[in-house]
Amino acid sequence: MISKLYLLYGLVIVGLMGTAEYRGWRLTLFNEARTVPRSVRDNPGSYRPVYGGFRRFTGGK
Amino acid sequence: MVEAQGRPPVSVRSVNCPNCGAATAVRTFGHAVNVVCQSCRSILDATNPGVTILQRYTDAVREEPLIPLGTRGKLLDIECEVVGFQVRQIVVDDVAYQWREYLLFNPYREFRYLTEYAGHWNVVSTLDALPEGGPTPDSSARSYGGQRYRHFQTAEATTTFVLGEFPWQIRVGDMTTGSDYVAPPLMLSAEVDADKEVTWSLGRYLRADEIWTSLSLPGKPPRPVGVFANQPSPSQGATRAMWRNAALLVVLATVLWIAHLASARGKEAFAQTYVFDPKTAQEASLVTPVFELDGRPTAVQIETATSLDNQWMFVGYALVNDETGQAFEVARDVSYYHGVEDGESWTEGAATDAVALPSVPAGRYFLRIETEGERTASPVRYRVRVVRDVPTSLWFIVAVVLIVIPPILASRRALLFERRRWQESDHG
Amino acid sequence: MTSRAANCPNCGAPLVYRWSSSVQTVCEYCRSIVVRTDVDVKKVGQVGDLPYDASPIQLSTEGRYGDKGFVVAGRILYQYEQGTWNEWRIVLDGGADGWLSDAQNAFAVSFLTSGLKIPTLSQAALGRSFVWNGTSFTVVSRTLAHYAGVEGELPFEYWDKTDVTFVDLRSEGADFATIDYSDEAPALYIGKAVDFDTLRLRNVRTFEGW
Repeated sequence: MISKLYLLYGLVIVGLMGTAEYRGWRLTLFNEARTVPRSVRDNPGSYRPVYGGFRRFTGGK
Repeated sequence: MVEAQGRPPVSVRSVNCPNCGAATAVRTFGHAVNVVCQSCRSILDATNPGVTILQRYTDAVREEPLIPLGTRGKLLDIECEVVGFQVRQIVVDDVAYQWREYLLFNPYREFRYLTEYAGHWNVVSTLDALPEGGPTPDSSARSYGGQRYRHFQTAEATTTFVLGEFPWQIRVGDMTTGSDYVAPPLMLSAEVDADKEVTWSLGRYLRADEIWTSLSLPGKPPRPVGVFANQPSPSQGATRAMWRNAALLVVLATVLWIAHLASARGKEAFAQTYVFDPKTAQEASLVTPVFELDGRPTAVQIETATSLDNQWMFVGYALVNDETGQAFEVARDVSYYHGVEDGESWTEGAATDAVALPSVPAGRYFLRIETEGERTASPVRYRVRVVRDVPTSLWFIVAVVLIVIPPILASRRALLFERRRWQESDHG
Repeated sequence: MTSRAANCPNCGAPLVYRWSSSVQTVCEYCRSIVVRTDVDVKKVGQVGDLPYDASPIQLSTEGRYGDKGFVVAGRILYQYEQGTWNEWRIVLDGGADGWLSDAQNAFAVSFLTSGLKIPTLSQAALGRSFVWNGTSFTVVSRTLAHYAGVEGELPFEYWDKTDVTFVDLRSEGADFATIDYSDEAPALYIGKAVDFDTLRLRNVRTFEGW
């Protein structure tokens, strides 16, 4: 009984693993920004990726 | 049973105690050699019409058997009646351990025993054949009926209390040497009575609730304490099955992982070298030409190969979908320092960096690159490379670890159980 | 089986020897032990009432041993320090004589075996092994016993109550052997341990409440 539950658990894990590999999942933290029109983007002052809240490196080592 | 030709059934009788006068039923018909007066606990000679007293009861402590004499039921498919009760004791490392034995009677079959220790029960029958390995019990393993039994304990057992009737002479103080060998749920035992007799018997572990049901006893049996010599391990079979399944799952995962590695194209979608001079522009920003990311949504790796030498650089990437405007933003801190100290060279950081964005849908994209650096630093050359459909072994490793954890826990549990079992033995 | 009719020399009651191999019988009425010679019958002793006993086997119980059927013809009740046991004399189909040992319902069938080397009583110590007919037998018990009673037809003359030592042996294959050291020449019986089911016993005693 327990070993059947375990097999199910294992198959779920392998299934998830396969899906993750197929879909290219990663653990990377990134920011996702929405619909940015090209014209606005080209404006040096109006849109900057930095506004999205990067973690910034502000000095030395 | 076919009726005896003309002879009436053997009738139940009772004996009157010459000490206190109480009447005690005799349940084993003519088998009883000794019968214990149920009132004053004197051991009486059941074969003597005058019923002589063979041993007087002196101990103030009285033990009440958990299963009353006269209880009837089917144990291991054979009908039986509890007719006798004795408490036996061994002394190990100056500690006395007592267990109880219930004598089971059936008019057509050999006597059996029901033993109980700390809530653990065994049904014991004598063997017709000898186990392999020599006649005298010793501390080496034994084989019987194709099964190997490990030596568990050898000790001298003394009878400390008796009740009911017995088909042989029994006295409080009787001593025999017993050796036990286990192959859970079975236990092979040898009992040596000086140089007169060696008796081998086989015990089978039964759960207390099974016994209570078979004998229709009221209430609940006492809860077992600790692990008994031949108590079957609760996880034994399941553990093996779990490891078998784990092996299968790991094989399956490996196949999928290899397929993943083999099918990942690692296609370079864009590559270009740039120069960043921190002195001239503290916050530089540029936009790459549009490039194609094809196929199903897979990971995209952005590599930054720099010429950094004892300085740092901050690179902010935004991978922007030219059509939808959807942007993936990541910030990367790249730094590389090195030197020589006390004759040893050291390095810190790396001049190259790579980051993977997950599940990027197909489309036409460009990168927006923002760089920052130390104002006084020298110019940096860096090559940006965008690779489509990169593989990873991360999920394979995670899957294998998760697959292997439950069987490890199960094996550990089984191991701890066995340790508790063997702690009670001569070898613990 | 041939029966021979005679009269009890003590009380005159009719005696029947159901088996030609029987040498003595016990008169059912006066409990005289009557020995039969080719010519006549002779009373040689008297046996008291058998102790109240509980063996499920009785005279004329039938059963099977191996591929042969048998009938219980007689009995010897032995008494020893720890209690009693029965040796039931059985006659198999074809006339062979055997013994069904019954010690607190532990059964074994054995047959008198000749031509094998029998150890002396001191040689047959607990735990010692001997090989007969290719099987290794190990001594499991040594018992000092005496006759406590006889019943039915027996294949020899016996009425004495002197103590005698029996040595029981068992093998790894559930074989059984016993050595009777009562005569000057010890007798060896070899057979097998059996149980109630394999014997397929019929016409056994019944017990109140069972």
